[in-house]
Amino acid sequence: MSDQLRNIWKDWRLHITVLLIVIGAEWIGTHEFQIGPGVVMLLPMLYAIIIGIMLYFTPVISEKQSEKSEPLIVLGVSLLLAKIGVVVGPDLPDIIAAGPALLLQELGNLGTILIALPVAIFLGLKREAIGMTHSVAREPNVGLIMDKFGFGSPEGRGVMAVYIFGTVFGAIFMGLIAGFLATLTPLDPLSFAMASGIGSGSMMAAASGSLIGAFPELENQIIAYAGASNLLSLSTGLYVSLFIALPLTEKLYRLMTKNKFHDENGVK
Amino acid sequence: MLKNIQEWTLLLSIFGIVTLFGNWFGYDITPLSALPGMIVLILISLLGLVTQKILPFKLPSVAYIAIYGILISMPWTPSSEYIVAWTTEVELLALTTPILAYAGIAIGRSWTDFMKLGWKTIVVASFVLLGTFLGSAIIAEIVLRMQGII
Repeated sequence: MSDQLRNIWKDWRLHITVLLIVIGAEWIGTHEFQIGPGVVMLLPMLYAIIIGIMLYFTPVISEKQSEKSEPLIVLGVSLLLAKIGVVVGPDLPDIIAAGPALLLQELGNLGTILIALPVAIFLGLKREAIGMTHSVAREPNVGLIMDKFGFGSPEGRGVMAVYIFGTVFGAIFMGLIAGFLATLTPLDPLSFAMASGIGSGSMMAAASGSLIGAFPELENQIIAYAGASNLLSLSTGLYVSLFIALPLTEKLYRLMTKNKFHDENGVK
Repeated sequence: MLKNIQEWTLLLSIFGIVTLFGNWFGYDITPLSALPGMIVLILISLLGLVTQKILPFKLPSVAYIAIYGILISMPWTPSSEYIVAWTTEVELLALTTPILAYAGIAIGRSWTDFMKLGWKTIVVASFVLLGTFLGSAIIAEIVLRMQGII
């Protein structure tokens, strides 16, 4: 990593390219459009990620520069977390007051199992479904599945598929649905702020950014709740997966596929 | 270690300069008035990165960084009002745009893998993200209401 890190700063073409992307994205500015009662926010960061992906396929960006961008994401997320820290600090008493909600909503990750597992089984997926739906498939969860089932297992293929989806499309997806759901459903924007902390820096940034776009007057509270929840997800996510989510997914999988098996037999 | 600190400082500074421009074009805050806040954020990040290298615990550096950020901006910390006033000039959204610009460039390499995913995977993965987001929001809503916070 340290060898890789060397000399990234010297690649001024990469950084100038990013600077131009940023200026272009900010210049386009925030736009929003209505779908029924919900509002979809199009924020500069959304254009930035799409322009970035597109440039990778042009001669402007080389394979090497794409690799060099990765440490900069990490450092950018560091600055983001520093910013979140100084927003949380002054409101620390309020955050502590919201502690029970922050802790319990971590169990909301189990929502993936309840919603996504039936969909996966309905679509005819087999044991891949366990890897796919036991968690949001960020790095710690991928590690857990590989450790338990092995790299070439169906579970391993499943978790990798969702990991790739999340890496490429996660931030865009969260940025689009966060503001939309918060304006569409009767749930409070602050509840969605807590839900934004799913353990991935860029997805959290996109989701909370979209909420701020839709509810600018709640900016500081949204940042504080999302940031605190993301930190909790980072530190507890693996244990929730290991002790609750994965055993529950396996149990539900057996239960649901067994029923299906009986049905099929019944039809025969 | 010293070499690491040097590299981090340079890269954080580059990232900071890009952010100051975005902060200027997008949010009308001049680079000069946002500079003190940006320096504070860079110092907090450096401190967290160094702490992670030194301490034996397996915590991610972002955890230390967030904790340092909280510590220096708490109401009980002397002169925290300066820290808060300076860093307010650096918009959160001005930080997220360059993160996602670099992320987009890095993601390009995964695009071919992404295109190989079948439509079933894409449907299930969307429900995975939707499920965790809605699940957490519903639980947060119930507990926040019970506590009378919202």
